[in-house]
This record gives sequence, structure tokens and C-alpha cells, in this order.
Amino acid sequence: MSRSQLDTLIHMVNQIAINNAHYDDAAERIHAHLTKFWARSMKRQIVDYLQQDGSELSPLAREAIERLAQAQTEARSASA
Amino acid sequence: MLQYFDPKHASPERDYGTPARLSGTLVSLEIDGHEITVPEGTSVLRAAALADINIPKLCASDNLEAFGSCRLCAVQIEGKRGLPASCTTPVEAGMKVTTQNARLAKLRRNVMELYISDHPLDCLTCPANGDCELQDMAGAVGLREVRYGFDGENHLDAETDDSNPYFSFDPSKCIVCSRCVRACNEVQGTFALTIEGRGFESKVAAGQNDAFMDSECVSCGACVQACPTSTLMEKSVIEQGQPEHSVVTTCAYCGVGCSFKAEMQGDRVVRMVPYKGGDANHGHSCVKGRFAFGYATHPDRLKSPMIRESIDQPWREVGWEEAIAFAAERLKAIQAKHGRESIGGITSSRCTNEETYLVQKLVRAAFHNNNTDTCARVCHSPTGFGLKATLGESAGTQTFDSVMKADVIVVIGANPTDAHPVFASQMRRRLRQGAELIVVDPRRIDLLKTPHHRGAQHLALRPGTNVAMINALAHVVVSEGLEDREFIAKRCDAAGYQAWREFILDERHSPENVEAITGVPAEQVRRAARTYAQAPNGAIYYGLGVTEHSQGSSMVMGIANLAMATGNIGREGVGVNPLRGQNNVQGSCDMGSFPHELPGYQHVGDPAVRERFEAAWGVPIDDEPGLRIPNMFDAAIAGDFRALYVQGEDIAQSDPNTQHVEQALRSLECLIVQDIFLNETAKFAHVLLPGSSFLEKDGTFTNAERRINRVRKVMPPLAGKQDWEVTVDLANALGYPMHYDHPAQIMDEIATLTPSFSGVSYARLDELGSIQWPCNEAYPKGMPTMHIEDFPIGLGQFAITDYVATEERSNRRFPLLLTTGRILSQYNVGAQTRRTGNQAWHDEDVLELHPSDAELRGIRDGDWVGITSRAGQTVLRARVSDRMPPGVVYTTFHHPGSGANVITTDSSDWATNCPEYKVTAVQVEKVSQPSVWQRQFESFDRLQLRLLRGDEPSAERVNE
Repeated sequence: MSRSQLDTLIHMVNQIAINNAHYDDAAERIHAHLTKFWARSMKRQIVDYLQQDGSELSPLAREAIERLAQAQTEARSASA
Repeated sequence: MLQYFDPKHASPERDYGTPARLSGTLVSLEIDGHEITVPEGTSVLRAAALADINIPKLCASDNLEAFGSCRLCAVQIEGKRGLPASCTTPVEAGMKVTTQNARLAKLRRNVMELYISDHPLDCLTCPANGDCELQDMAGAVGLREVRYGFDGENHLDAETDDSNPYFSFDPSKCIVCSRCVRACNEVQGTFALTIEGRGFESKVAAGQNDAFMDSECVSCGACVQACPTSTLMEKSVIEQGQPEHSVVTTCAYCGVGCSFKAEMQGDRVVRMVPYKGGDANHGHSCVKGRFAFGYATHPDRLKSPMIRESIDQPWREVGWEEAIAFAAERLKAIQAKHGRESIGGITSSRCTNEETYLVQKLVRAAFHNNNTDTCARVCHSPTGFGLKATLGESAGTQTFDSVMKADVIVVIGANPTDAHPVFASQMRRRLRQGAELIVVDPRRIDLLKTPHHRGAQHLALRPGTNVAMINALAHVVVSEGLEDREFIAKRCDAAGYQAWREFILDERHSPENVEAITGVPAEQVRRAARTYAQAPNGAIYYGLGVTEHSQGSSMVMGIANLAMATGNIGREGVGVNPLRGQNNVQGSCDMGSFPHELPGYQHVGDPAVRERFEAAWGVPIDDEPGLRIPNMFDAAIAGDFRALYVQGEDIAQSDPNTQHVEQALRSLECLIVQDIFLNETAKFAHVLLPGSSFLEKDGTFTNAERRINRVRKVMPPLAGKQDWEVTVDLANALGYPMHYDHPAQIMDEIATLTPSFSGVSYARLDELGSIQWPCNEAYPKGMPTMHIEDFPIGLGQFAITDYVATEERSNRRFPLLLTTGRILSQYNVGAQTRRTGNQAWHDEDVLELHPSDAELRGIRDGDWVGITSRAGQTVLRARVSDRMPPGVVYTTFHHPGSGANVITTDSSDWATNCPEYKVTAVQVEKVSQPSVWQRQFESFDRLQLRLLRGDEPSAERVNE
């Protein structure tokens, strides 16, 4: 059995979140991890999911993706 | 006066009779009137050899301790009685030695006469003719007659043992010098050979007088190498005769990276002989590197490029130009239709640094994206992540030789005797010298039964609980005040350490509280932690049993934490040492194969880094990371990813959840596979580009100790092109110009763009033999031991590594945990070793299970058993064994039809997506026929082999 692409991404980000949960700056670390390691298309899909549903994201994962979305918006407005 | 700084002075081409001594105290003596100064403890035989005075010898060899049995090396020493053996006589200050006079000549001639009286006189037809020390010594001593005749009792009718596929044992030619027995003991450490009987009855015996194949012999070849006659002789030499030239190159099997002399007749390899000058192996070898090279000339080799429109069509042989044009057109068309990011490439950890560099360059510069990844994704990607985060560099910290200064050796999730055999022999040598051993592994690995070593500690933890274990070990160190405060204060980030200290001191990490998770008694954990922390030098070695877990990266960081907390970093004898699986895993990572990093671990998001590469490559580089292999598969199934160029990797066999991988591969519109065989992945391909074996190309491999070794071409590429040339052609066909005349030019380009390689060139490699990176202006000869002064990130960073249980856990439906691994004779997916005589040792993968688990299920040794996980089912033969604890089963993945990866799941490391091969919850039951997947595999395999021959598909359906 295999997960769908989006399910995999949700699972991945929740897994990253729980493994960084102990840090005080956990959300920022998770955000940095996604920025550094995730492909553009993966970032786009997880941000879209947050904005459309996001129900399966852990609170920490959600916070990190919110930061990611924010950073992407800022980058877009900076380059515009 | 001659003074020798042994061993640097020694030539790898000569045998100095006894091993080098490294004493700083020098001793001067006189040999045949020449004054010579050598380190204290050197034998007279070696001292003479260093001065180019060659004393005859038979039982002595400089990779073995002196034995003093043949008496041929007798010398006369002023003031000493008799004629002592020079091999067992250490030098003394003021000694006056005579190596040649009438008395010595007579003695030596008598000795040889006795030897030859029981030796066949068939020199002209003997396979050792031209390479026989006995023959040479008969000549050297001037033997002219054998007064005893040949009619007396003798061993000339002794039967030959041909049981080993690679060498024969002909005892009729044996002079019982014991070199083979000593090589097995001292060099290999297996102790499989012995001298049986006494006096005239003495003879070499394997095991309890067994055939070699039935004994404990691991076929490393050390005995064959040591034999001064043709008693132990390579069958290839018996068949082909003596080689006429040789070339030094690097083995293409595991991450030890042994140097070999490829001994040749024209462009045919006669034998591979481990090279004494090799800094990783010092003249030792294993059954794979030494003997299993026949795959290079196997009839299954792909000899010409092939193309087809779809995977149900027969392959069509075409010329290189047509195949490359076909591939390039498809790639361009797919990008035009589905976007720049719809294609990607996979580099190989079996190919050279130069080839890997070019594939990632092709992806970044000609595909215009960062969709490049490598097979390290599925083995050591957590090492890259974890060591960079904590120590600042994605690499092991030591040389292999460093283990000789370790007092405690900790082996975590690694099986060196099988997967890194030559280094395991060195480890065993250190263990025999008295180092302590701690093994953290669910299985009772062979290193635990090292002959002449006692008291090893085995923490047989449950699969999937590594991080709980490493935290418990660290908890003991910190709570019992065993940490190295000075090291921590001077070398590590204070705030990070404080945060970690608070975390690790929490009682939930105490061995007593962790016992329920790991299954290891607390007292054992406390003892191991104390042993490691209190040792003057504690060294950690780890393998895929660390990385291939859902917390692989956390575990790597946990290991680094433990090493930093105890100050076991930054000198010889200590360190954090990942044992790399394939020959060039380190190199493929160094060369920018990962989707987020350019060569030298430089992130694509860094504008300054991109600028340098853009200037050199003349194209803009994408500033976002690309897809990793598992993400490529998901994207392929979703329809976003349409084409893939795979150089030398068999993802269909090696990657987890085979059915998912196959679905992804079938989804691709264009799969280009470059390999030496029609591997499992190639069966789903549209373009087949024949690869070249390591014997057919120039380049470099980088081993587990960051050692860059030269690979040298000894025969022309079978299909006409070295692998790097194919990538160059593909780039040019895509409109991105690449031009190199030789891989040396590729290395020059790498050196300009990769700070840690800036001092590396082929000229420098030829001069130094090998180089451990970083090699730059500050370290022109490379850096054997890392982090001596500081870390590349300044201060060491402790990481918080909370234990998070894997989701892959046993339950009522899947009550057992499957873990996978390797065995000595086969290599990885087996594409090479399955096409050699190594099949004699392991021609099928079996499922090892504990007697109690077997009994519960009515399973007997040899029964067919079905193994079912949430991912799939396969069938293997059972082997009942108590090497694993109850509840844990084990198999290897060397044979494609075994389908080991049909059952492994998509569970993976949180940071890198390295698959969790080491933990799969399964059920095992007795069955009578192969699984559905296996039946499909067989029919698909048959079909694809027919299509390879160009036949039309007949009754069998492609997708059944």
C-alpha cells in the first residue's frame, strides 16, 4: 500500500515536527528544514493544503508551514 | 651511513621479510660492512633488506610476524654462537652481521636440498613457474643436486583440493612454511587454517581437515597471496598463465576502497592482487575484490545501446548517436510539454567522482533543475545530515588505521566482517591486541566471535530503538559525571550543550526507564557507557543499522553528541566513523548528487555559491532544492514527473516498497538507464546505454575515510564508451556543451569549484598515492584526522534527539520485526557478484528466524515461508537461527526474485527520507508456493529477457 503524494507530504512534515518538538524554536527549525530540503513543488503543495484544509497537520507543523507561506509571500512581493 | 625512516622508505613492490617497527629509538648496526640505522625492534632480515642486501628467505614475509622455521635466512653475527635466523633476531647497537660466506652458503644449500627432496620437479609445467619463491631460492643458493634422491617417503601424491571456486590447494607442492596459516590468523583474523600432525606428518589443513569450502575459510585470498609455491594458487593463473603487466587501481565493491594491482595479459585480467601500497587495505583483500571480477567479462554485459518506444516492445540495437539523440529528443519534448521540473537524474555511488559530478552537472545545467539524487539517499543520507549539523562536515572523522589506537571499539548497526571485511580484519587485529568491543545490534554479528578476543559487550536492542539507546548511554555519561568537561568547554557551543545537558539528564532517558523500550537490561547499558566514556580512546563505527530508520538522522546526531560529550573527537584512536556501503557513497555525496547541494555540500540556496557555479558553467542554477528519489516516485505516479536518467543504480531492486517503485517506473514516459547489465530497473526503460565497469575507465573513488583513490583503465570499454563520455554526449545533444578529453580535466574543474578539493589533481594523486579530503592550501596533503583544532562550523553543536517510536511496530497482525542486511559473498543488489563464482556461497536469500518463532509456526529449517507486511508478500526459504532475539527475523536482498523489498515499507527517516529498511512489521507462515509478486516477477523477467533479444512479445502480457 502506498500513500498519495499529498498524504506523504503531510506525513513527512508531521514527522519533522515531532522530531524537532523539543526545541524552544521548533517552528522556526521546521520552517528552516522545509526551506532547505524540500523541492519547490513540495513546498507549494503543502502550503496549498494548509490554506485549503490543513486538518491533518500537527499544530507545530501548521505553524511552520504558516511561516513558510509567509516567507513565500514576502519573497514574491519583494521580487514583484 | 644509511638511515631509514621505516616504513615511509619501504617500497610496496618489495618484501622486506618482517613487518616494520615504528619505534622512535634508532639502532645502528653493520651488515656486510655497511653501517645501517633502523628503528629499535627491526629484524636483522628487514634491516638488511632496507639496505638492499637480500638474505634468502622462505617462511618470512613482511606482512607476517617472524616465524623462524625455514632457517634459510640464517646469518653470522660477530660474538654470537651458531647461525641465527635473521628474521627472528632483532637488531642491536653495534651488531656486526655477515649475510654471505661459505658456511652460510653450505647451510642454505642443505636446507634447500631437503625441501626439494620432497617437492615435485615439474617447474616447467607448474602454474607458479616464473613466480615461485622456492624456485628463486633454489637459484639463489645455487642448488645443483639432491643427494637424498626422490624415492624415499614423500608427499608427492597428496590430493588437490579444488573445492574453492577461485583457488586450488595442491599439498604435494607444500613446504609447510606456515605462511598461509599465519596469514589466515594475523592478516585475515579468521583462524581457519592450521598445521595438522607433527614432524614429517605435518600438513596444512583447513578447519578440522575439511575441504576449503566446508571450512571456516572466507576466501579472502591472504593465504594464496602468502604461499611461496603453487600450493595455493589462483585457478585463473593455472588456466591462463602468469600475467605480464599490472596496473594499480581501486576496488569497485564496498566503501573500504582497497587498492589492487590488476595483473594482466594484454587487456585480460589474470588476477587481482591486493596492493601493499594501498593506504586503506595495506595489501589485504576480501573474496569480492580479490576474486569476484569475472562479471566484467560476463556474457550478460550490454554491448550496444538500445531503444524502444514502450516497455512492451522488443529492444532495438542502435548506434550511440541514435540512442543519445532519441533520449535527448524525448527529454526535451517532455520538458516542453510538462515543464522544466518534470525530469531528473540519479547518480551512482558505484561510478567515479568524475562521472557523478557530470550527472549532477547535467541535471543542473542541461535539465535546468535540481532534480538530482543518488543511492546514498537510501543508505547514508542521515550521515550527511547528522554529521553536518553537529560536527560541521558530512564525513567520517578518521582513517581506518586510527582503529589501531582505539582502546574501546563501539560498533553500532554495522556488520563489518560481511560488509567491510578488510577493515573488519584490521579491527580484529586491534581486538586481539586487547581493545574492548561493544556491539549495539539486534543480531549477534560475527565480530562478536572474534578468535582470541573475550568479553565483548553485546547490547541486543529491539529494532527501531537506537535513539532510546544512545540517549540512555549519554544519560549515564552525564549523570555519572563521565563527560570530558574540558573538551566541551573548549570545543562545543555552550548554550547548545546546556540545553542538551538538561534534556539528557531527564530521568526518562535513564537505562532503567529505557529498558522497557530497548529490551536491554539497564546494567548492561550502564557498563557499556562507562567502558566507552572512561577509555583513553573510544571510537564509534556505525553502518546502515543506524541510518536506515525513521530516526536515522537523530541517531547519527546522538552518536556525535556522545562522542563530543566524552571528548572522543579530534585525534587518532577515536571519532565517529560511518562505514559506507558502496565504493563511492562518500564521493557521490561530495560531488553534489543531493538535490539541495552543489559539490562540496554547498547549498543551492546560497547566492554566492550559485554565482561561482553559474560563472563556471555558464547557465543560471535553480535556487530551490530538487526532488529526492522517493519524492520523484510519488511525483511520477501523480503525473508531474515524466522522465528519469539513471546511471548505475538499480532502484527497482534496491529501493523499498517494490510495488510502489514499479508503479512509478511504469508511469514514466522516458526512462534512460545506463548500466553494465539489464538490471531490474532497465526492464522498465526506454533507452538502454551500456555502462563500463571499473576496469574500463579512469577516474577516482572516495572511500569511507574520505580517501580519494585513483581508478585506472586496464581494458577498453566493452561498448566503446566510458560512463562519463556518455553523459557528455547526452549534455551536448541537449544543447548544453560539455567537452573533456580525460577525467583529469573533470577533476580539475571539481577542484576549482569545491573548496575541500581545491588541492586535488591527478598529478597530486599520482604523487601521494591517495588523498583524504579536505585537500587545499592549508592541508596540501589532505587531512587524515578531522576536527583536531576546531570544527568547520567553529564549535560543535549538541543536538536534541528525543526518541520517537517508529510507526512501523509489531502488532497482532504483524507480530515479528524484519530487519535486512548483507552477507560477505554478495554485494548489494548482486548484479555483479551473482555473475561470479561467489554464487557458490549464497545462491539464494533466506529468512533467518529464531527457533522459538519457528516452533510456534511449525516451521523447520529449509521450509518455504511467506513473509507478509503491510506493503506486500514474498516467499523465502527459512533458516532457523538464534543469531536474532525472538521476535526478530532477518534477510538479505541480493537476489531480485527474493523480493525482500516487496515487504519493506515507505516508512523513512524524518530528515532525509532514507528508508526504514531495518524495521518492518511482518507475519511469517509456512507456504507451498511463491508469492503473487514473485510469479509476476518471473514472467515479467522472462518477457524482458526475450525483448532484450529483440523477440516480439508472445503469449505473456506485459502488465500481468
